[in-house]
Amino acid sequence: MYSYKTGIALIDEVSGGFDAGINVLILAPAMSYADQLAYTLAKPLQGEYAIVLSTNERAAEVIDAFKLAGADKRFTGVIDAITKSSTPGIMDTQRMMFVSSPTDLTGIGIKFSNMIETIFEGDFSEGETGLFPPPIRLCVNSISTLLMYRRLEVLYQFLHVLIAKLKKIEGVGIYLLNSESFDDKTLSLIKQLMNCVIEVKLENNISYLRIQGIPGVSGDWRKFTVTKGQVILFE
Amino acid sequence: MISTGINGLDEMVGGGIPKNGRVLYSLDPGVDGRLFMISALSSALAQGTSCLVILPHTTVEAFGNDAARMHGTGLDSAPKQPVFLDTIDRERIQKLGPSQEARKREWVRRIQKVCRENQVEVIFAYFDLLYEDFGLETGLEILESARNSGASTYILELLNFDGAPLLERFVRDFSFDLVLRARSSLHPLPQFTYFTLVHTSWSPNYCRSVPFSISEGRVVPYVPKILVTGPPGSGKSTFVTSACRNEGEEDTGVTCRNGKDQEIDFCWLRWNDFDITIYGTPGHTASDPLVPPSFKRAMGVVLVIDATRPGLLSSARQLIEKVTVHLTPLVIAANKSDLPGSMDEQEIRKSLGIPADIPVFAISAIRKPDVRFVLESLVDSITQVS
Repeated sequence: MYSYKTGIALIDEVSGGFDAGINVLILAPAMSYADQLAYTLAKPLQGEYAIVLSTNERAAEVIDAFKLAGADKRFTGVIDAITKSSTPGIMDTQRMMFVSSPTDLTGIGIKFSNMIETIFEGDFSEGETGLFPPPIRLCVNSISTLLMYRRLEVLYQFLHVLIAKLKKIEGVGIYLLNSESFDDKTLSLIKQLMNCVIEVKLENNISYLRIQGIPGVSGDWRKFTVTKGQVILFE
Repeated sequence: MISTGINGLDEMVGGGIPKNGRVLYSLDPGVDGRLFMISALSSALAQGTSCLVILPHTTVEAFGNDAARMHGTGLDSAPKQPVFLDTIDRERIQKLGPSQEARKREWVRRIQKVCRENQVEVIFAYFDLLYEDFGLETGLEILESARNSGASTYILELLNFDGAPLLERFVRDFSFDLVLRARSSLHPLPQFTYFTLVHTSWSPNYCRSVPFSISEGRVVPYVPKILVTGPPGSGKSTFVTSACRNEGEEDTGVTCRNGKDQEIDFCWLRWNDFDITIYGTPGHTASDPLVPPSFKRAMGVVLVIDATRPGLLSSARQLIEKVTVHLTPLVIAANKSDLPGSMDEQEIRKSLGIPADIPVFAISAIRKPDVRFVLESLVDSITQVS
């Protein structure tokens, strides 16, 4: 089974990376570099693809962020739930698809399926590498925004379906959720869908993370920073 | 009758949607079935029908652009223009506060006003957010209120997370006349979409599933194809004949010749609500070049082998390689397994080098129940919902 390298030595050395089918929740307060962490974990390595469901940033901004993280934009697709509200006539491309708003779960689901189909059929980009099934990293940035538009129960069902599909195609999912904006019931329900939780906290303007749910990986808090698409952990 | 805008579907339901009908297009998550609604809307507008479109999730402009892109022609080219209530209306209604009763009253007031002023005959509603805001019963009551203002038909689209039990409620508790469920499976990869006519009030027990594709702005239903292939003399023709033969019924199978004077078996049968066409590939090695192209549109493949002739398994292995390239669901039917000296499943698996997820069935192709069991298993693996 394919392993998705994380770039975090702590994980890669112990388990070889994220196993195919795993779902990772990044639980973080605002302004804690969590989106950079998510993009770093979701960036496609050689032979891989990334799909970002963006409810916070426009597709072009997401692509720029991935490029800064060292990703090849030819293998990065974005489902953008922001731009269409201000630019209703914007057209889909193979790698950028637009839905009317984060409320439109029908549209998001369809665009996700379409993008997966394009990748499987080898039409996503030139220079396909031929790995099969094609390794796909999904990044949802963020569940917090989706929860502002749809009820928790509905979103839970939606994520459940998304995760089942991702598992079937042997992808990996990275999901961002603001740890300060939601009650315990919400956090607990979303955690139920995940295999691994990376908690992030800020103390004196320094970011810390701890990893839970990967056997053999310590659950201690570690200071970290993200630089040029690399997650650096400090002792 | 209001046409669904999809020829094949109109034929299936006897011409279209009866006036005064309640229709539900239920979309399973991720299934690109939005054209069902758009096609019906375009068709109603083309007939000069006065329509209200309720879009709580998007704006009129974004919807217009999406509809034009999906359907190929813009709604604004229709002789009759629809009227809309969109996400801006919903936002204003939400601002009325937490009282569900107050918000319901405002939805009803707006819908009735628009219907009266425009003599609306048909309402097209994207129902997700009304369902979420009010629940099923109250959400439908809001739409029902439009009947007092002359709009007697309504057609809903709903993203359905709850599957068949929710659809049963629409039929049983709310007397919907037509319920169509658009579904998908990840086999054959990456996505196989089909719709099931769950209920038509004017045609009881009319449940039927049909695969569809989206092509040039149209929903195109098609008949699934299952391919029966195998080495020469393995029993393919016998398998196809047994598949289609029904006691007391006319034989639905035929053997015909293609342009190269090669015999091709095919037959039709009804299975798990699908109408299925079964094709047998020509058996002679001279026909080998014909086999790979025939895999391309197949939704499932039965590889028939002769379990008493291990010497033929090398050509079966080559066929397996050709099938698995297309990632088409495959089952192995080990024919003549009832005869002495036949190989058992372990030997067959070892000789063919197949993984555990490809089923091997020990059968006799002259026994119809054996053949039907193989086909049932294959159809299940094609249609299993992801």
